[in-house]
Amino acid sequence: MSQDLSVMMLTWEFPPRIIGGISPHVYYLSKSLAKSGTKVYVVTCDFPGAPAHEVVDGVEVYRIDSYKNPSPDFATWVYLMNVNMQKEAAALVRSLGGKVDVIHAHDWLVATAGIGLKHVFRRPFFATMHSTEIGRRNGIHFDYERMIHETEAWLTYEAWKVICCSDYMIGHVQWAFGLPWDKMVMIPNGVNYEVYGKYDGEDLSQFRKRFALPEEKIVLFVGRLVYEKGVHVLVNAMPKVLDKVNAKLVIVGNGYMKDQLSGLVKGMGIAGKVMFTGFVDDDTLRRLQRCADVSVVPSLFEPFGIVALEAMAAGSPVVVSDTGGLSEIVEHDACGVKTYVNDPNSLAWGITKVLTDDGYANWLRNNAYKRIQERYDWEKIAQQTKTIYNDVIGEYSKSFWAQPIA
Amino acid sequence: MNVILFSWEYPPRAVGQLADYVKTLAGQLVKNSVQTYVVTYHDYLTGGHDDSDGVKTVRVSNPVRTHIGVLTWVLTLNQEVERVAANVIYDLSKKVELIDAHDWHFIPAAVTLRKAFDLPFVYSVDSLEEHRSHGANSPFNMAIKSIEWLGMYEAEKLLVKSEWMRDEVVRIYKVPVEKIGVVSKESATWIKDILETYRNVAEGGGSK
Repeated sequence: MSQDLSVMMLTWEFPPRIIGGISPHVYYLSKSLAKSGTKVYVVTCDFPGAPAHEVVDGVEVYRIDSYKNPSPDFATWVYLMNVNMQKEAAALVRSLGGKVDVIHAHDWLVATAGIGLKHVFRRPFFATMHSTEIGRRNGIHFDYERMIHETEAWLTYEAWKVICCSDYMIGHVQWAFGLPWDKMVMIPNGVNYEVYGKYDGEDLSQFRKRFALPEEKIVLFVGRLVYEKGVHVLVNAMPKVLDKVNAKLVIVGNGYMKDQLSGLVKGMGIAGKVMFTGFVDDDTLRRLQRCADVSVVPSLFEPFGIVALEAMAAGSPVVVSDTGGLSEIVEHDACGVKTYVNDPNSLAWGITKVLTDDGYANWLRNNAYKRIQERYDWEKIAQQTKTIYNDVIGEYSKSFWAQPIA
Repeated sequence: MNVILFSWEYPPRAVGQLADYVKTLAGQLVKNSVQTYVVTYHDYLTGGHDDSDGVKTVRVSNPVRTHIGVLTWVLTLNQEVERVAANVIYDLSKKVELIDAHDWHFIPAAVTLRKAFDLPFVYSVDSLEEHRSHGANSPFNMAIKSIEWLGMYEAEKLLVKSEWMRDEVVRIYKVPVEKIGVVSKESATWIKDILETYRNVAEGGGSK
């Protein structure tokens, strides 16, 4: 296989170190790039039991000492970890005789290492902004947050292109840092729909009994039990759904609102129709998504909404609130149902519609699966990413940085 | 010989006495036919570049303006140090013999440049966190100590200004005594000793 392009990915998390969404994102992107003949070097933080260097699905993974002394605070740890990351990455590039064509950083967590490497090796530099401090905190209130915000601004300034996973995030990042529009590139997040294939034809009726009676339809929620995920809106929608359909709400996940939610459920007198499972393992989650009659994503705020994609990949019809990334993933009446944000009546209407019309539910299911394959396939996403790399390399080749040293 | 000096203070910006020391050193190096570049912090007392007494000075400011302490300020300034040092290195077709980093602030940049260009560096120790903080070991102090340690480990050679400091470096960081040179500005052989250290380090290269 010809290795026409080599990429260095910088990320603070890569499996088995999983903290949030960046880890699976970089894993699938790198793996798919490697499959298409791109040489990928991932430089990431170390993790107990994981080797300092290994090849994972064709991807060269280097794990660096991530600074293990106690740190004054999280941000200072990030900058200290970046000192080590930058040092090891520089040694790696040198050991490869400089054969790294582009450097790609994921979030501010690797900003300083990436920016330093860009200038030292004079390579085209990319940043994917998965989130922002101003979005996470709903504004910038303290110097600590402002420091992170300005580090993010610096990262987007230094990057040749800034990649975001949804049009919503493109708009948000452009606004947050005042970036020129032609610097922004939207490449969606992907979903690995093949993992659901292994449950094809499996009889899940015994498994299903752990969560609901055979005659109850399963309404599934997956996510952190926090305010912005809107679980309380879904709970408030349930009495209206139960008026029309015999159903069971299964809530997967944990969070600070758990006690409040279970109190709400008891107060409403529907405790028998709601089950809290807490965290579940991947296998249980995928089986649950396979046998859910409807998956609901009632978020009040959602940068991307990967959980909707997973449900669509699992073959479960989805009902979502029309906000953020969810608005882009779901086309109403074609591959899911969109409802008004923060509106239990609207949500109940959507859920009831899916649960009472099997033909409609199957139509959504089939269209959703097609859409996943068309737009959210990692190999296609890797191809789009590679196109951006090559476009920029084309521009870069005309710059003085690309000229050989006399 | 082309040499880059790193110092977080350089006249007219003087925080302590290190600024004047580095200024005198740079001037003496130029007199001894060493092409000398100084990379330092820009606090708008001067322009970004100047060329006084034959010393080429490049000043950088921090792209991150808000900070919670000196540590985060230093750690985000290092990439700008790397950027301008890399510019000097590329402009000279990579013919730079060494970097002399004064104190801990720009050690991360010196280490990265060493790894990237096989470019050795000297770590000139003016003071140590152990003494500055009277033995305090908060996470903040430990972080600075870990950067000092990194510099001592990665440097080709350490230069200190007294035998007492040499012994302290050995005591606190367990550095082999042969790695440390004592160069006192009071000594008649001060600049001669430094030049000899530079020549030895340059000959050895950066591939430790």
